[in-house]
Amino acid sequence: MSIAIGRAGRPIESQWPLLLRLAIRDLRGGISGFGIFIGCIFLGVWAITAVSALSHSLSDGLAREGRTILGGDVSFARSHTPLSDEERSFFTARGALSGVAIMRAIARHNDQTSLIEIKAVDGRYPAAGAVVLSPVLPLQDALGVHDGIAGMVADQTLSARLDIKVGDRIEIGASSFELRALLTSEPDKLAGGIGFGPRVILSQDALRASGLLQPGALVRWSNRVTVTPERGSVIASDRDITRLIEDANAAFPNAGWEVRTRTNISPQFSRNVDRLTQFLVLIGLTSLIVGGSGIASAVRGFVERKRTAIAIMRALGASGSYAFAAMLTEILCIASLGIAAGALAGAVMPFIVAGLFGTLIPFPLTAALYPQAIAGGIVYGLLVTLSFALGPLGRVHDISVSGLFRDEVEPQRSRLRWNYRLLTAAAALALISTALATSPNLRLALIYIGATLGSFVILRLLAGSLIAVLRRLPRPRGLTLRLALLEIHRPGTLAPSILLSLGLGLALLVTLAMIDANLRQQIEQQIPGTTPSFFFLDVRAADASSFQDYLKAHAPQGLVETAPLLRGRIVKVGDQRAEDVHPKDNAAWVLEGDRGITFASKVPDGSSLTEGTWWPVDYSGPPLVSLDEEIADGLGLKAGDALGVNVLGREITARIANLRRVNWRTLGINFVLVFSPNTFAGAPYTTLVTLAFRPGNTSAEENAILRSTARDYPAITSIKVKDVLDAVSNIISQLAIAIRAASSVALIAAILVLAGAIAAGQRARAYDAVVLKTLGATRRRLLVAMLVEYTVLGAVAALFGLIAGAAAAYVIVTRIMNFDFAWVWGQSLAAASLALIFALLLGLIGTWRVLGVEPAKMLRSL
Amino acid sequence: MGIEAAAVELAGVNIHLGRGAARVHVLRDIDLRIKSREAVGLVGPSGSGKSTLLMVLAGLERPDSGSVLIEGHDLAKLDEDRLARFRGARIGIVFQSFHLIPTMTALENVAMPLELQGAPDAFARAAQELASVGLADRHVHYPAQLSGGEQQRVALARAIAADPAILVADEPTGNLDDATGTAIIDLIFDLKRARGTTLVLVTHDPLLAARCDRVVRMRSGRIEPAEADVILPAAQ
Repeated sequence: MSIAIGRAGRPIESQWPLLLRLAIRDLRGGISGFGIFIGCIFLGVWAITAVSALSHSLSDGLAREGRTILGGDVSFARSHTPLSDEERSFFTARGALSGVAIMRAIARHNDQTSLIEIKAVDGRYPAAGAVVLSPVLPLQDALGVHDGIAGMVADQTLSARLDIKVGDRIEIGASSFELRALLTSEPDKLAGGIGFGPRVILSQDALRASGLLQPGALVRWSNRVTVTPERGSVIASDRDITRLIEDANAAFPNAGWEVRTRTNISPQFSRNVDRLTQFLVLIGLTSLIVGGSGIASAVRGFVERKRTAIAIMRALGASGSYAFAAMLTEILCIASLGIAAGALAGAVMPFIVAGLFGTLIPFPLTAALYPQAIAGGIVYGLLVTLSFALGPLGRVHDISVSGLFRDEVEPQRSRLRWNYRLLTAAAALALISTALATSPNLRLALIYIGATLGSFVILRLLAGSLIAVLRRLPRPRGLTLRLALLEIHRPGTLAPSILLSLGLGLALLVTLAMIDANLRQQIEQQIPGTTPSFFFLDVRAADASSFQDYLKAHAPQGLVETAPLLRGRIVKVGDQRAEDVHPKDNAAWVLEGDRGITFASKVPDGSSLTEGTWWPVDYSGPPLVSLDEEIADGLGLKAGDALGVNVLGREITARIANLRRVNWRTLGINFVLVFSPNTFAGAPYTTLVTLAFRPGNTSAEENAILRSTARDYPAITSIKVKDVLDAVSNIISQLAIAIRAASSVALIAAILVLAGAIAAGQRARAYDAVVLKTLGATRRRLLVAMLVEYTVLGAVAALFGLIAGAAAAYVIVTRIMNFDFAWVWGQSLAAASLALIFALLLGLIGTWRVLGVEPAKMLRSL
Repeated sequence: MGIEAAAVELAGVNIHLGRGAARVHVLRDIDLRIKSREAVGLVGPSGSGKSTLLMVLAGLERPDSGSVLIEGHDLAKLDEDRLARFRGARIGIVFQSFHLIPTMTALENVAMPLELQGAPDAFARAAQELASVGLADRHVHYPAQLSGGEQQRVALARAIAADPAILVADEPTGNLDDATGTAIIDLIFDLKRARGTTLVLVTHDPLLAARCDRVVRMRSGRIEPAEADVILPAAQ
C-alpha cells in the first residue's frame, strides 16, 4: 500500500487504476457483511429494470404485431355511418379494403339473455392474421347462410351464459343465427378495447338483416386498408401510409373518421401502459430508497470495520480524501455486483414472462434485451448507492492515526465535512432529476419525490424526538420496561433504522391498500335510487316514449331517465384542429375516438354551472355547447370559445355557452358535451334510457327486466351496470396484481433493511444481554424487554405508516385520479398489523439468537 | 477441612475450546475445593486457564466433563435461567473491563442484580452499596462520565449488592493505575472481611496474590501440585 499512498498531492482522478487495484486486492478476502447491502441494491435495480424491460417488450410487441392487431396498415373508423360509395372507391383504388362494424346487442336463447359485442365482418376479413375456430373451419364458411339461417361464431363465455352449444340457434335483433363454432382467437382483438360482453362474429349482411342497424344506432364502422406497396416492396412503407392518410383527409375533409396506423393502434392503451410503467418504476424506486437505509448502515459498518486499516493507510501518508476515494472505490465495486446482478435479472424478464406465460397473457410480448431498461436500472442503482453511501463514507476522511496508539472507547463524532455533504446532495439531486426526466407524468413524479423526501425527514425527526423524549422522561420503575426503553435511546440505537425501514414499508403498504380499497369502493358504491341498474342503448327516438312506459309498467318502483344520444368526434378546439392540440393529461382521452354527445334544453341533473349561462328552452340561434369544466381546463378552453364536432359526417362548430361541474360518480346520464337542442334538429338519433331501482331491489327483478326487454324490444341493447362494474373491477384486480408484485419488492427491501439493522445492533445487544445474564437476568425477562422495545418502535412506525400512507393515498385518489376519498381503514389496518407482526417476529428471531450467546464466549472476546 | 462446608468444589473438570485443528484443551482434570470465607488467589502465566476456571466456577462456562458444586449446588443440574438466577443471588463477579452497562447510571447499574431478584428496596440498597465504595455522590453519572477506578468501584458495588456468598474477580486492577488498583484491592478485601464472603481472585500480581489465604498456581490448564500451594497465615 505504501507505494501509492506516498504519492500524495497527485489528483485522485489519475490514481483510479491504483485505487481499483487496491479495492480488488482488499475484496479478495471476501465480501462478508455485505449481504444486505447487495440484496437491497439487487432488489431495487431488478424491479426497475424488469418493469421497464417488460414495458418496452410490450410496446415492441404491439409495434411488431401492429398490422395484425389493427387488421391492416391503417384504419379509418367512425360511428353511425359506413363508408360512402365514393369513399369506398377511393380506398379500394389504393389498397385492399376490409371493414368491420362493431356494436353491442342482446343475444337470446330460450329464456336466457346476454349482452354481446358484435363484430360484423365483410368477406375479406381478416386482412391480416387468422381467426381460429373450434371446430376448425374457415370463418367465411361459418358465417354463411345455410338453409336460410345465417351462421355466427362466439366466445366460449356466451355458450356458458346462454347454455348453448355449436349447432344451437340464437336470436339477435330480429334474426335467428346458428352457432357454427366457438371463437378461440381473433387477430384484431386488442384494437377493440375493453368489451363488456362476449364477442360474436357475424357477417355484415346478416347484421343488416337483423334490423339492428337502424338510423342513429350506436355502431362503429372500422375500415381497414392494406395499402398497396410501391413496386418491389412486400408491405407498404410508413411513407405510403402517411400519403394515404393525407390524400384521404384532403379528399374527404368532413369524413370525421378516427385514423389509426399500425404503429399507433391505441394511444390510450399506450398511455395507460406508460402510466402503469411509471407507477411501477416509482414503486421499484421506493424499494431502492427503502433499501438505501440498509445501504447506509452497511457502509457505516464497513467504515467501522476498516477503522484500523484506514488509520494505517493514513499513517503511511494517505490524505483524508485519498482514504475516502479508496473506500468509495471498494464500495462501488461491491455495489456493482448487486447492480449488475439486478440489471441482468431484470433484463431477462421479458424472456421469462414471454416463455412461461406468453400464451396466457392477451398482449404480444417481444422477448429481447432492452438497453434503455438496463441503463435505467444501472443509473438508478448507482445514484441510490451514492446518495446513501457518500455520507457515511465521508467519515473516513477524519479517521485519525492516533486510533492506532490507544483504544478509542467512544470515537469522536465530528460533523461531516461540507464537501461530503455537497457530494451527497449532488447525488440525491441527480437521482431526483433522473426520476423527473424519465417520468411521463411530471406531477406524479413530483408528488412521489415530495412524499419520499418528506417521509425521510419526518421519520428522522420522529426517531430523534422519540429518543430525546425517552431520554428526558423519568425512568420507569419497572425493570423490564426500563430495559426496553433504554435500548431505544442508547447511543447507536437501532431506532432510526428500524423506524425508517418499517415506517416507509408500512406507508407504502397502507397507500396501496387504501387506493385499492377506494377504487373498489368507487366501483361498488352504488347509490340506490340514483345509480342506474341498467343502461338501454339504441332506443329509437320514436320508441322512446313507449319504452319508458314499458319500463314504468315492469318496474313501477324504478326511476327512468332518458337522454338523446349521438356519437361524434371533437375535430376543432378553439381555432385549432384537434390533432394539433396538446391537451393536459387528464383531458387527452376526449380527443381520442368518438364521444357520446347529447342535447338538452335544461341543465342536466348531477351538473352545476361554474361559468357562463344556460340557453333558453326555446333557443334557436347558432349552435351552443356546454362543456365539463375539467375537460375545458385540460383543453385550454373557456366560455365563449369555439368547439367543432363531427357528427354523422357533418362538422358542426358551436360556441361554448357555459362550463359545468359534473358529478360522474352517480353513474347517471351525463355527458362531457351537451349541445343546444336546435344543433341536431332533424338528425337521426337514438335515446339512452336508464333505469334506477329503488333501494332493496333483487337480482331476480333485474334479470326479469333484462329478459322481458330482450323479448319485447329485440333491437334495444340492455347493459346491466353491475356487469360493467364487474368487468372494470376485474381489470383493476389485474392491475392490482402488478402493483402488489412491485410493492412486494419494496417490502422485501424493507424487511432486508430491518434484518440488517437488527444484525448490525446484535453485538451491542449481545453485550448487554451477557452482562445482564451474569447479574442474574433470565432469557424470558430479556425477551420480554426486547418485545416491549420492538412493540414501541413498531407502534410508532405503524402510526406513521398509517398517517403518511393515508395522506399519500388521499392525494393520489383526489388529485391524480380525481375521485372522492373514503377513509377505508379495514384493509390498511390489517395490512399494517400483519407487516408489523412480521417485523416483530423477525426482530425476535434475531433477538433469540442474541439470547443464545454463551456469556463466557462473549466475555472472552471483549 | 473435611467437616467444614466447601463454598466451591470442582472435580475432574475438563474444558476444550475451539474447533478442529484450533481445538485447545484449556482445563485438564481440575480438582479444586475452596472453603467458605476463604480468599484464594489464582495465578499463572497467560493462557494457563485461570480466567476459564473462574468462569466455570461462576457458572458462566459449562465444563465438558467433571462436576462443579457451589455451596453444595451442582451447577450441571441447573438450566440456563435457573443458573442465571442462582448466579445473580449467590455469586458476585468483578471483571477486568468492568462491564458496566453504558446506558445506565451508576445507581441503576448497581441496582440491577437486586431488581432482577425482585428486591423492593433495590435502589435504596444500591445507594448504600455505592456509598460503601465511596461513590455516594456519583449516583446519576453514566459509566462514560466516571474514571476507570470509579467504574471499577461501581462494578464492585454491583457485584456485592445482592450479598453473594462468593465474589469472583478477574484481574480487577488490570486496567487501572497502581494507586487506583491498590485502593480497589483494599476495598475488595475490606468488603470480603466485613461480609464474610468467599473470594476467588485471578491475578498476575504476586503481591496481590500474597494477600489471599491460599494461592492456586495454574500452568497449561492444570493446577500445579498441591504442595506448591502456599498456605499463608492471615496475610492481610
